[in-house]
Amino acid sequence: MAKLCLYFQLHQPYRLRPFSVFELNQELNYFVDHEHGQLKDDNGLIFRKVATKSYIPMLRLLLDLAVEHPLFSFALSCSGVFLEQAQAYQPEVIDLLQKLVETKQVEILSETYYHSLASLYSPTEFAGQVAQHTQLVEELFGVTPTVFRNTELIYSNEIAIQVQQLGFAGMLTEAVDRYLGGRPRTQIFKSYTQEPLPIMLKHAQLSDDVAFRFSNKAWEEHPLTSEKYVHWLNNYGSEEFINLFMDFETFGEHQWEDTGIFNFFRHFVERSVQFDHHFVTPSQVLQPFQTNLAALEKLPAYDVPVPISWADIDRDLTAWRGNSLQNDALRLIYDLEKDVLATNDESLLQDWRRMQTSDHFYYMCVKWSADGDVHKYFSPYDSPFEAYNRYSAVMIDFQDRVREMTAKGSTP
Amino acid sequence: MRDAQHRVFMVGWEYPPHNSGGLGVACEGLTHALADNNAHIYFTLPYRFSSVVDHMNVITCQTASDDPVLLGMPPFLAYTPSLPGPAVFSTKDSLELSSLPQSEIEQRVNYYADQVLGVGKDLRRKYDIIHAHDWMAFPAAMKLQEKVNKPFIAHVHSTEMDRIPSGRGSHYIAHTEYLGMQRADRVIAVSNFTKRILVTKYNVDPKKIDVVHNGVTPASRLPSDQLQFATKRPMVVFMGRLTAQKGAEYFLQLASAVVNLIPDALFVVAGHGDQYHSLLFQSAYQQLSASVLFTGFMRDHQRDALLSRADVFVMPSLSEPFGLVALEAAQRQVPVIVSTNSGVKEMLQHALQSDFWDVSKMANQIKELIQNQDYRQQVIAGQNTDLEQTTWNNAAGKVSDIYSKLLDKKN
Repeated sequence: MAKLCLYFQLHQPYRLRPFSVFELNQELNYFVDHEHGQLKDDNGLIFRKVATKSYIPMLRLLLDLAVEHPLFSFALSCSGVFLEQAQAYQPEVIDLLQKLVETKQVEILSETYYHSLASLYSPTEFAGQVAQHTQLVEELFGVTPTVFRNTELIYSNEIAIQVQQLGFAGMLTEAVDRYLGGRPRTQIFKSYTQEPLPIMLKHAQLSDDVAFRFSNKAWEEHPLTSEKYVHWLNNYGSEEFINLFMDFETFGEHQWEDTGIFNFFRHFVERSVQFDHHFVTPSQVLQPFQTNLAALEKLPAYDVPVPISWADIDRDLTAWRGNSLQNDALRLIYDLEKDVLATNDESLLQDWRRMQTSDHFYYMCVKWSADGDVHKYFSPYDSPFEAYNRYSAVMIDFQDRVREMTAKGSTP
Repeated sequence: MRDAQHRVFMVGWEYPPHNSGGLGVACEGLTHALADNNAHIYFTLPYRFSSVVDHMNVITCQTASDDPVLLGMPPFLAYTPSLPGPAVFSTKDSLELSSLPQSEIEQRVNYYADQVLGVGKDLRRKYDIIHAHDWMAFPAAMKLQEKVNKPFIAHVHSTEMDRIPSGRGSHYIAHTEYLGMQRADRVIAVSNFTKRILVTKYNVDPKKIDVVHNGVTPASRLPSDQLQFATKRPMVVFMGRLTAQKGAEYFLQLASAVVNLIPDALFVVAGHGDQYHSLLFQSAYQQLSASVLFTGFMRDHQRDALLSRADVFVMPSLSEPFGLVALEAAQRQVPVIVSTNSGVKEMLQHALQSDFWDVSKMANQIKELIQNQDYRQQVIAGQNTDLEQTTWNNAAGKVSDIYSKLLDKKN
């Protein structure tokens, strides 16, 4: 009889196309390749493929479940670059999302439009991308997000301050043992900041049982049935929140349809309703604290001095800035902020922001073992070095465009 | 027609288009010019060769492998001693295989020697001289010389002392080089720089060594659309294998120094090798990600286009027996900076020189070449006069003389 808070992440980056020294300074698109005079848009191919395998079937299933079970509710977070690509490549995804929002059983969360690491580098750019995202969500769905989730659930005390100042009711992040110190992750926490923000923490084990382990035959609990899973949930009390946060692509893409993942989810929802678990959405839980400061003060504090995330075993930032390739790429993109903003040029701003998407840096990760395998699975490139070379070439071209535009602007 | 026709049995290792570097290119240039000088050449290769060559007889000395991926593949890795090459063996003679040395490249070289010996014995009446290119060909040439008793020329394009500058190279390879040169009737070195190494490190009698500098084939004209590419940034190019020998690490240090003087300078590293990953990390660590571009290995038009577009070409090798690519850059009207530890500087006397480690000197040379057009034109004009002498015809003339002297002595 616990409270179940489900949130699924929808995101697709604009991956960089191969970019050679011979293509510099020709005003070529960084994300769409060409071959024999024809456009060759791998991002479109990938989006349509994932839409067929995951987005469309899972959104339809969620819609069915929402209609059948008025008590079923959940949250979605869609990056701005995801929504853009959905509009361009597979508008049915937008239709289904709109229908889901109309049921009022689905909450849309806030995030940075470009699924970026701006929260770590530039508070103004961060605020700008959050506002841009809100605007798109309002346009498409007619709702205004009130709860924030940062790229890859990246969180620290510093970031909580930024999010609080933007007026959000609360935030989602990862439960990391080194900061949790043995306290249950199933309660609400407050940020360890002057003006605290209520926080919900991901239940990593129960989330990853579905997201990562579901089809793993070497896992001792395989095969995972909805009976077994809901039985585990039954161990939690009515005051506890089980926060199941995962990639939307878990359903149909990371776990293919033939693993039985869709059926599992349907039965999981039905059984959960049957066993009296309450589905809640983040704003239902967090918003009341905005008017009840006394209750907020009483929450235990989650003190995170060094940024955490939901990635890899260490739940830190090394997936994006753990080696010199990543660090230098990040230095270059954020060093350009002032110059790019000064040009006030739409296409420069858009490319600059698309190049901030965290995936570009994730692809440059060279970690070994299990983490490395996960990175490899998610990377469109043959190697982290290929990812770096593409970024480096595009960065050279981009710097030249900025320089040129700056020179143009300074001549009367 | 001068002299009698020279009939030569050449033991090669690679040949364009399947070549990993300068050795194949040099063999192509030299054999063409020798054929023009009325030489008849048998040329052996350790892999199946499908291209059409009509100036000599190319002989494949390798039984077909069962692995189709390896067919037609040259043993590229001969110059990368740390990596074993792909093994393509007939496994018929297991007794002989079991007695072979451990590393695969060594096994390959010995297997090749036996194949060449078979062919060379059959053709013994059709040639007068054995001419072998670098250590991979020496065991074959030595075995053959023993059997057919004809003069043997060891042609040294590069040594283990060059390839592994630390001096901790393969003992087997260095020893093969030593033996080959001891047993050879004459030794050809591609430069005085190399001759010095042969004398001081391999104890070869200097009187036995002739220096024959490589030539360079006249550059083909590029279609004009291939010249239009690329950046407005000043561009400095490195082209070579990414191994310690070629000094790419110094090229990165150089980039770092030049970017301080010319912030938008672009450095292009064209090549592949065992230092590739380490160089990427170093480049990023030195905050050069938007100043240095790694293009991987380039050939043909891409290579020509890149060289043509370069504003400066730098060859910071720790030890470079010749350095053909510097001539190719000079041909494309690009000012060149060559390592003082190189053979090509003996031909390209108007190119700029620097010690490979003298980063600040090279940085100032680059700055001057990029910012002072008069100086730049002066260097290019000087290089062009150097190039007039640097022909394969000149090289072949010298080789022909060596052939003639050897045969006169014998008769």
